[in-house]
Amino acid sequence: MIPSVLYHCPCLSTSPVPPPPHLPSSSYCFHPLYTLFFCEECDAIRCNRCVSVEVSTYYCPNCLFEVPSASVRAEKNRCARNCFMCPICRNTLTVVASDPPDADAGRLSVPVSTVGEPPFYLYCNHCRWDSAEVGITFEKPTGLAAQLQKHEDSAPDSLEFDRLKEHFEPFIRSSLAASSAHPASTVHPSSAAHSHHLYSSSITAAASAALARDIPGVSKYTPLSRSTSGRGGRDRSVNKDEMPEYRSRMDITTASTIGTGGGEADVEFMKHIETINEVASLEQRWGSSWVTSLQTRDLKPLRIPLHSKRSKRCPVCTHILIKPEQKAQSVRYKIKLVAANYLPAITVALPHMYPTTETVKRALAKSSAAANDRLNAALHPGETYAFHLALTNPLYDPIQVRLATPRVHATNTSTANQEKSRRPPFGVSLPTSPFTVAAFAEAWEYDEDEDMYWTDEEDLGGGGGGGAKSVRDRDARTKSRTKAVGVLEKRANTTIVGGEIIIGKEARGRLMFIMLVQYTYRSDDPVPSESNEGEGNEVKGNTGKGPETKTFEFYTVVDLGEIEG
Amino acid sequence: MDPPVYYSKAEFIETDTGNKVSRRATIAGPQNIILGGKTIIASGAIIRGDLRRSGTGHAVVISLGRYCLVGEGCIMRPPYKTYRGAFNYYPMKIGDHVHIGANSVVEAATIGNHVNIGKNCVIGKFTIIKDCAKIADNTIIPPNTVVPALALFSGSPGRFVEDLPESTQEVVESYTKQYYTRFQPLER
Repeated sequence: MIPSVLYHCPCLSTSPVPPPPHLPSSSYCFHPLYTLFFCEECDAIRCNRCVSVEVSTYYCPNCLFEVPSASVRAEKNRCARNCFMCPICRNTLTVVASDPPDADAGRLSVPVSTVGEPPFYLYCNHCRWDSAEVGITFEKPTGLAAQLQKHEDSAPDSLEFDRLKEHFEPFIRSSLAASSAHPASTVHPSSAAHSHHLYSSSITAAASAALARDIPGVSKYTPLSRSTSGRGGRDRSVNKDEMPEYRSRMDITTASTIGTGGGEADVEFMKHIETINEVASLEQRWGSSWVTSLQTRDLKPLRIPLHSKRSKRCPVCTHILIKPEQKAQSVRYKIKLVAANYLPAITVALPHMYPTTETVKRALAKSSAAANDRLNAALHPGETYAFHLALTNPLYDPIQVRLATPRVHATNTSTANQEKSRRPPFGVSLPTSPFTVAAFAEAWEYDEDEDMYWTDEEDLGGGGGGGAKSVRDRDARTKSRTKAVGVLEKRANTTIVGGEIIIGKEARGRLMFIMLVQYTYRSDDPVPSESNEGEGNEVKGNTGKGPETKTFEFYTVVDLGEIEG
Repeated sequence: MDPPVYYSKAEFIETDTGNKVSRRATIAGPQNIILGGKTIIASGAIIRGDLRRSGTGHAVVISLGRYCLVGEGCIMRPPYKTYRGAFNYYPMKIGDHVHIGANSVVEAATIGNHVNIGKNCVIGKFTIIKDCAKIADNTIIPPNTVVPALALFSGSPGRFVEDLPESTQEVVESYTKQYYTRFQPLER
């Protein structure tokens, strides 16, 4: 168990105080720093749970083809080229040619084409399934999806679905027309998207569209209020008759006989199974668009579902936080506001878990493999341990950091008291006075000098000293200061502070505590008048001397691992 | 913050460009292998540069970028196939900042930049792994698989699990650079 620090995202909640960290139900709001975003506009942390997401590109994860969004729906969200998934193990299938005609027939076998002999079939490299088992072969090795299109389109489910679509087409079209007829309506912003749910029938939709067009001012009238009123109910009952009744292509009671599953056929099959493999597992069946047969041998290859690249927006101010480049396989972003560029990165370590140079030396003498493994030094009740917190500043200005361990749960309701009695009693001491973390300088990125990496601030002036030497120096120094609570070391844009944890005799379970981090930095822009909107934990502080400073605070959870009794 | 990873100085050879290669690793056909610099080949690794394309002349069989790590007991073998009746090996290209965990077998055709492959994995022949992808420990990637950018693959056969966070590139880059600096000699 490696000690970790997780950051709290308030997720638009009104109270900025995080829930108790040791409850499993609280895990949703604590995240590793690198998964978080930061909205500059709201001055707040955002996570994947609270951002709003929109698709920017669709692509096939196998052939990496970027599918234009116009054809995504027509192709039913799956790759329409040559990519298929094995129905048994969901691996990607490869196209293979049949064996060439018998070479032993006396004459020299001349390769007919570069691609091999027809018929072609799909083959799974992993489980050795092939499409000939289900009677699917191809004339040519390209455009397989198009060749299979005939099968797909003639499937009873697909025909039924097309018929349903046809049936509802006029209804959808008219409601769309209605919603586009009054685009300027300033009602609820989501009402345009949902308007087709609100109209009780195509007739009312068409009528209101016509009204909105012909009579000025009517577009302000929301259909929502009418459909929820008493009159709406009567409208609906009348309009029910206007909607023609849907007749399915096929009687549902006979559907089980055509291999779509359900009913007598399945019962008959289940009665006679001999091995469990004859029955398709749930996983094998639910990836399919339609209801499939219960029998493994009837499973068909599936076109690979498309993936998407997504852009993300702040839920409050709708500013873009993430905007990927259009190209599907590019890992660059046009806009990328991640929390790691704004908040100090914090890592935690328990020094007693690391092997000393001496033990490594002895272990290396035997075998090199496990020499550097972390010692399995557990936390024991009744002991006191030192821990190190390393704070790294991503900003171009130095920051002043203040750490605190707020007692957030003591003030809660009576259940909190019960919780408290169960919580491992331990005391955390952290440096109480603020300390500085130096500014991030680009130069450190490129300076790959090992001497620099491990040296202390005091050593910087003296320079010199091999990398290995300074490492040993540092080890010696930290050992002598093990008991110290306070700033231990400063190098580049990282400051290491020491803390101490006293574990009570009765302590059991996970050793986790909430740590409040406050940092003050110099702000270049003038204080925004409308900040503090939402849950931004902004506290403006003006020191009155020179540049404007700003303070930002956030909660973290420090997890030091399990206490072993 | 993380402590140094020590190795015995006698075991490793350091090149001019900062590559650190264990004497206990088996490097076959070194003239066909390119290391980008600051790449670590751990002990017990086997790199088959001798399995080259048939024909004369110089051929690059395996190329690794900068800040790569080939873990203990890894096997790196170029992919092969019989095409139009002729058996041949094909080159393997690996980008920068690629870490391969201990005891994995890699027969990929292309591995992009910032890729992390776990321990005990099998990467099948002609696999293409795009930038910033991650293969979890104990994953089997069947031959000819394509792993898209920023995807996490896991299982047997390896399947897509989730999209990795947007900052994966920075996280992997700083981790691999830091690992190289932490990888320190220890004289006996």
